[in-house]
Amino acid sequence: MTTRDEQYDDFVSLLGHCEHRVRRFVRSLMVGAEGIDDVMQDVSLECWRKFESFSYAAESADPGDSRHEAFIRWACVIARFKVLSRVRDASRERLVFSDELVELLAEDSSSWAAKESPRQAALTQCLSKLSQDDRRLLLSVHATGDSVAGIAKQMGVEARRLYSRVNALRSAMLKCVQSQLASQ
Amino acid sequence: MNRKLQEQIFASLDGTIGLEDFASMQQSLIQSAEARALYLESVELYESLGETGWPGVGTVTPTVAVQAVSRRQDFPAWFAVAAVLVAVCSLAAFAIGRRSSGESIAQRPVQRPAQQFAGPVSANDVETMVAGHASLRRVLNVRWSDGAASYRSGDLIPAGTFSIDSGVVEMDFFCGASLVVEGPAELNVTSDWELTCVSGRLRASVPPAARGFVVHAADSKIIDLGTEFSLSVTSNNARVRVIDGEVEIHQSAHDPKRLTTGEDQWLDGQKDASEDESSIATSEELRSQQSQLQRQKLSSWQVAFDSLRKDKRLIAYYPFEHDLGDATGSSRLVTNAAVAGSAGDGTLVGPVVASVGRFGEGSTGLEFDRPAARVRTRLDGTFLAFTFAAWVRIDDLSHRYNALFMGDGYENGEPHWQIRNDGKLMLSVMVDDTKEFSHFSEDEQQVVQAAGLHHVYFTEPFWDITKSGQWFHLASVYDPVGRRVDQYVNGVRIGSETIKDEFYTDTLRIGPAEIGNWGQPFRKTPEFAVRNLDGTIDELGIYNAALTESEIKSLYDQGKPLGY
Repeated sequence: MTTRDEQYDDFVSLLGHCEHRVRRFVRSLMVGAEGIDDVMQDVSLECWRKFESFSYAAESADPGDSRHEAFIRWACVIARFKVLSRVRDASRERLVFSDELVELLAEDSSSWAAKESPRQAALTQCLSKLSQDDRRLLLSVHATGDSVAGIAKQMGVEARRLYSRVNALRSAMLKCVQSQLASQ
Repeated sequence: MNRKLQEQIFASLDGTIGLEDFASMQQSLIQSAEARALYLESVELYESLGETGWPGVGTVTPTVAVQAVSRRQDFPAWFAVAAVLVAVCSLAAFAIGRRSSGESIAQRPVQRPAQQFAGPVSANDVETMVAGHASLRRVLNVRWSDGAASYRSGDLIPAGTFSIDSGVVEMDFFCGASLVVEGPAELNVTSDWELTCVSGRLRASVPPAARGFVVHAADSKIIDLGTEFSLSVTSNNARVRVIDGEVEIHQSAHDPKRLTTGEDQWLDGQKDASEDESSIATSEELRSQQSQLQRQKLSSWQVAFDSLRKDKRLIAYYPFEHDLGDATGSSRLVTNAAVAGSAGDGTLVGPVVASVGRFGEGSTGLEFDRPAARVRTRLDGTFLAFTFAAWVRIDDLSHRYNALFMGDGYENGEPHWQIRNDGKLMLSVMVDDTKEFSHFSEDEQQVVQAAGLHHVYFTEPFWDITKSGQWFHLASVYDPVGRRVDQYVNGVRIGSETIKDEFYTDTLRIGPAEIGNWGQPFRKTPEFAVRNLDGTIDELGIYNAALTESEIKSLYDQGKPLGY
């Protein structure tokens, strides 16, 4: 038996390692970025409340799974229900996925959510192929959280035009990552 | 994977997606694992780009972003060509603006290279998109249900509920199927191909191109294999009858069943022999009913017109009653029908076409959809006030400024009555054409120099492309005594502004002027600004008076066409 303090340390360490992957899972089930922080907070609290029920043996899908991967699978199940309940609460809001789609996405997403994917490395490769200007444009939207409209205003260029440029770069990145992965 | 879906996914992740696109994206994601994979990859991309530790990320500097947009490396050669075109065209636009005699800089064609020359990467961006699955062909004696949207003939029908308490409509789905629907009825439109009939009676005609058109009713699915069937849905029962051709009926517990000409089937509930769908009007019957109602409207309008034209305040009153097809023939005369106006007949110039007016067959208007089309006139004298009132069908606001009635040179006291491409009605009167003045333009977000002291009175936008083809009653009142400019659309005031001392003038003139275009016959350059109205004007009245709100409302009420 571990003490609650030891459990807490263990939990914080697991969550620290895995949170971004759970977050990605949550994001894949929600529309836009709004509300993700709230859901993540609920998920973290719920995971902590139920942490005693987390068992590596029960959650690992295959023997090769690391303890982190098992934790992610477990947390993703909790996250899935949190998202569904939020969707129901928010169903009067404009844009939420239907239950059916949340389930489908959760199904598709959970098969690879836990695995550390080679995509990040591929993406880094692909970013390096962009010109410096394009890379900075793309990253400033995502990494600094600037909105396209905000940057466009600052630049005095038309937002739609800038937006289409950013989208073209995103598409190019997706294609590049796909081809990188295919060639591995 | 298709480009549209990708765009929708990005917009969704950016939180900028619209309802329509969201619904369509959700549908694709539910249907296709491949679509979901693309979606999940995009989510991953977004998150990764947010987490990346790439050095040198910071706030973008202006030069970086501008370069990023106009850099050539990732753009094909079109971009370089477009950039050159932008430069050339901007110069040309500027030159035209400068040279057009007396025209203010504020009103010269605005240079919008980014919008006008979009290449492949941004092509989707600039394409106009509107939502709709069908358009209304006829609307007869309809009372719209409380709380439901109401429409006019020619309107687009979007997805969702369509509900009438009484009357008959005919609608054309974009797949080619057409429906006659009798009220009370409630439909739920799903796509170009599909709808649910919640209640009501309808007749569906399905040409070969629309085979497969689906109507849901009473938990059944009716697939039309061509050509015509009727359907009646009440709270107690539902029956489908094939008038001609073949339909397939799917009911959950049964095998699909085919019905052919003359056969019918109860879908639900009690059989009720009193129901007879064959009484639903055919398209041809509706057409003749409509023309009859329109003829009634037209003849009551003609009575009203005969008294309106006696109004002594009229400077000119052009009913544009041309014979169809005659406009380009022998009669180039545009009669001033105002009893008080002894002069002021107009002349057709260029490719003006007489087209069907707002009362349908038997009424005419003039269409100005080509750049050289215009009606020239000359209205001499000085005036105390102006009221312009016209029935106008706008097909598109193709130009920056789209002329209704324009004084030639825009000299002191002369009016310019037009519509800007953002759908705003605008009236201006030149106050002092010798002065230069500068003012802050909301539109261009900068201080602009204007040649000639004047002020443009704008309304809020009243038109966008979804209103294409609809008739509007437009009226603008310039009232020096009351020191106000009031503007109306369909009898409702949508703009009102005080005339400031700076822009005050009480000596109003017209002189040589144009309807539907802007003439500058004394300009010193070969170029002219393109301002012809892409649409039809059916009737124009010009008054030497400031008509009141109730008078404008009364003009609208007496002149409104069927369905208004």
